[in-house]
Amino acid sequence: MLPSNQTLSGALQQKGVNRRRFVKFCTAMVATLALPPRYVAQVAAALEKARKPVLVWLQFQDCAGNSESILRSSHPSVLEVVLDLLSWEYHELVMAGAGHQAEAALERVVREEKGKFIAVVEGAIPLADGGVYCTIGGRTAWDIARHVCGSAAATIAAGDCAWDGGLVRANPNPTGAVGIEEAVPGAKVINLGGCPQNPANTAAVLVHYLTFGELPAMDQFNRPLFAYGRIIHDQCERRANYDAGRFVQEWGDEGHRKGWCLYKMGCKGPQATFNCPSVRWNDGTSWPVKAGHGCLGCASHRFWDTRSPFYDRLPTVPGFGADVTAGEIGLGVTAAVAGATVIHGIASAVRDRMRPPASPEPPTKA
Amino acid sequence: MIELRQYAWGEVHRPEATSAPVRVYVWELPVRVSHWFIFLPIVVLSFTGYYMHNPFIVAKGGTTFMMATMRFIHVVSGFVFIAAFLLRMYWFFQGNSWSNWRAFLPLRRRQWRGMGNMVAYYSFLRKDLVHHVGHNALAAVTYLLMFTFMLIEILTGLALYSQVRGGSVLPVLIGWLPRLIDIQHIRLLHFCIMFSFFAFVIHHVYSAVLVSWEERNGLIESIFTGYKFVPGDELEEDAAVRKAD
Ligand code: SF4
Repeated sequence: MLPSNQTLSGALQQKGVNRRRFVKFCTAMVATLALPPRYVAQVAAALEKARKPVLVWLQFQDCAGNSESILRSSHPSVLEVVLDLLSWEYHELVMAGAGHQAEAALERVVREEKGKFIAVVEGAIPLADGGVYCTIGGRTAWDIARHVCGSAAATIAAGDCAWDGGLVRANPNPTGAVGIEEAVPGAKVINLGGCPQNPANTAAVLVHYLTFGELPAMDQFNRPLFAYGRIIHDQCERRANYDAGRFVQEWGDEGHRKGWCLYKMGCKGPQATFNCPSVRWNDGTSWPVKAGHGCLGCASHRFWDTRSPFYDRLPTVPGFGADVTAGEIGLGVTAAVAGATVIHGIASAVRDRMRPPASPEPPTKA
Repeated sequence: MIELRQYAWGEVHRPEATSAPVRVYVWELPVRVSHWFIFLPIVVLSFTGYYMHNPFIVAKGGTTFMMATMRFIHVVSGFVFIAAFLLRMYWFFQGNSWSNWRAFLPLRRRQWRGMGNMVAYYSFLRKDLVHHVGHNALAAVTYLLMFTFMLIEILTGLALYSQVRGGSVLPVLIGWLPRLIDIQHIRLLHFCIMFSFFAFVIHHVYSAVLVSWEERNGLIESIFTGYKFVPGDELEEDAAVRKAD
C-alpha cells in the first residue's frame, strides 16, 4: 500500500492509541528536543495532520543493535507511535517479505518517492576493494547506499557505524569501512551517534522533521544539538562525588557500593557529549554510569580508537606498549634527567679539579 | 677596538677574570617578573593538574570540595601563567639585547658555533666554558623550545577549558583545536608536556648553578636583582659582538 495517504491520527485511532497516550508521547518528544512546553500543542497538531512519510531502514555492516534498541523501547511508546508515524516500507530485521520481493519494494520506494522518503542507515559501508565486503542481493552496500540515500529527502545515520564507521572502522579497519557521510558525500545526513543510538533521539528527530519540515540544529559532526550539545559529566548524578573528591578506586569497593564517581575507573563522561543521562534507556530506567560502569564515550567521534583504553583516563602514548601509561613514561623521563644531572654534576666537579691552576697574573684594569 | 675573539672549538679558557668586574643591569624587571610568574604557576598547575589526572587524595565522606577546589586553582593559576607568558612575549620586542627575540632565534652563524661550544662543554669535549653576559646560544634555543611548549600548554589548556566553560568567546577563539585533534589527544598532549617542564627545571637549575660557578658573575642572584658582575673586557667584547651582528 504505497503511498499511504492515511494521517497519523487516523492510524492511531485504528490501533486504539488514545488521545491521552498520544499527547504524552508529544510531551516526551518536546522535552527530548529541549523545546519549551508550549510546543506540545504545535507538535501534536502537526503530527495529527502529517501525511505518513515513507521510511526505509538499511542495514549494512552492523550488529542490528540500533534496530533492537528502537524495537525494544516502549518509552515513549516508540513502537506504537513511531511505527505508525511513518510508513515503514523496508527493514530487513522486521519485514515479512524476503528475497526479490523485498528488494523490489525498496526499488519501488526509491522510484516513486524520490526526494520525499526518509532513509535510516545502520552499519558501516566498506569501500576497500570496490566494496565487496558487504553485499546484499548481489549489490555492494556502497552501491545501495548511493542509490537509496542519494534519492532520499534525508538520511538518518543510526548509531556509530553509520555515522563514522564505528566498530567496523576501528583500527586497523580491514574492510575500509566508513560512515554514510563519507560513502555518499552528496546525501543530506543527520548523524545519531551512540552504540547503539538512543531511540528517543531517533523519534525526536523524526518528530522535529514532521513538525517543522526540517532537520534540527546540528553541530560540526551533523549531530542534533538537542542530543549532543551537553557534556555527560555535567548531567551526571555522580557529579557531586566528583567535585567532593570521592572516587571509586576498585570495582566493588566501598566507594563503588556507595555510588561514588567513576573517574578513576576510566569514565569518559567529562570528554563525551550526549543526552544519555537524561533520556536514559529501558523506559528511562538507567544508563551506564547509573548502573555502576564508567562512560565509554560511545557517542563520541570514532570512540573505539579515541576513547580507548576504556578503563584508563588517557590514551596510550603512540610507540609505547598498551600497558605503559603516559604518567609512567613522564615520570621515567623526569627520573632519567635527574639521574643524568647528578652524574653530570659529579663529572663537572672532577673536571674542575683537573684544570690547571689559574694564571698568577693580577687583573690588568682596575 | 678590541679584536673579536673567535668562538671556535677548543678555544682557551679564561680561568680568572682578566679585568675588574663591572655591575651590569642584564635582566630587566619584566624579565624577572615573568620568570617567577611563569615558574610559580607551573608548580601549582603541575600539582593540581596531576591531581585532576589522578586524584591521589580520595575524600571519605564529609563536606569536602577537593576536586572542584583543585580545578578552580588550576584555572586561576593557568590565567596567571598566560598573563606572565604574554608579558614575556611582549618583552621579546621591547627588551634589551639580552632579552630580545634576536638573542633567542639562532639566525646567525655565531649562535650555531656557540651551541657547538656549549654541547662540547657539556659533553666534556672541551675543558672550558665560553663566558656570556646574556644567554648562551644553547640555553637560548632551549628556552625557545620551552616557550613553544608553554604555548602548546596554553592552547590545549584553553581548548579543554572551553569545553567545560562554553560561552561565546572562548569556543570561537580556540574551537578550531578540538575540531582538529580529538579531545583525548589534546589531554594527552597537555599532560605529557608537563613532564618536559619537570625535566627542564632540573636541568635549568643545575646548569644555572654550574655556569654561575664557572663564570663567578652572580648569575643566580641576577634573576632576583637583575644585575650581573661581568669583567669589563667581557662586557666590551659582548657589546662588540652584538654590534657586529
Ligand atoms: S561518573 Fe563519570 S560522568 Fe559521572 S561525575 Fe564521575 S567522571 Fe563525571
